Amino acid sequence: MKFDCKHIWRELSNYLDGEVPPEVRRDIEAHVAQCRHCAALLDSTHNVIVLIADERRLELPVGFSARLRERLERELATSKPD
Amino acid sequence: MPDLLADKKDREFKLIDRILSGHNEGFYELIAPYQRRVYMTAFDILQVEADAEEVAQEAFLKAFRNLRSFRREAQFSTWLLRITVNEARMRLRQRREISFDAVFPTKEEADFTPIFLADWREIPVEAVLREETRRLLCESIAALPEHYREIITLRDVNGLNNAETAEILGLSLGNAKVRLLRARIMLRDLFVERLHDRRRHRLSREVAP
Repeated sequence: MKFDCKHIWRELSNYLDGEVPPEVRRDIEAHVAQCRHCAALLDSTHNVIVLIADERRLELPVGFSARLRERLERELATSKPD
Repeated sequence: MPDLLADKKDREFKLIDRILSGHNEGFYELIAPYQRRVYMTAFDILQVEADAEEVAQEAFLKAFRNLRSFRREAQFSTWLLRITVNEARMRLRQRREISFDAVFPTKEEADFTPIFLADWREIPVEAVLREETRRLLCESIAALPEHYREIITLRDVNGLNNAETAEILGLSLGNAKVRLLRARIMLRDLFVERLHDRRRHRLSREVAP
């Protein structure tokens, strides 16, 4: 089956997650080799996903754990799980 | 690898048994590995630090109170994040008087076309290192509609798999994948737009006398 651009968009996310069957993967890669728009779409979406995974450098606010513990202590001292 | 996961699950279930038999202090140990993830999830949905911290605290409290109702078919972390997402959604709803959910129907099956820009090919990976890029990315995530921000947060930021993400959001696996696709493409569109705006801005400054 020959893939058109709309097919690629529909499968884009599954493709990037490695969740397409080998024959679909081959069709996508054949299309992308010919289509500059879809190649760009694939590349840039992949890069954005890489970038946001990297965002995890964000730190917990200072004192977060201490404040959480304080709040939990009040609860845990007086009650039991239902 | 699967053995490691099974071990961890086993350890957590034993710890939960201990807590349920009255050793409340075990709860700190149970949640210690997840403080960051719970906070980040709340933050990504709410975009305000103070709200995210309160919601994270509420989520942990709720998890403690409802620990007995945790069905051990899922992982503890999945259950905990579902509570977090629900708490964050409630907070969002309280925060705005008008619910925008009604305005953004979640029609997952509707047809769509990604934005095409002439020179979008490169989102340079070396740009990862630049703080400005980071900021643009945060802005782009913040600009996503709520239901897209949720799924991106769980799947791509927290690195959960599709099945866990679907379970937390109460979606079928198929619908979760479709929503993820839309969310990723919209995020990319938002980011590319911002990147180009910035370049144009910089260019016009360089050209200006």
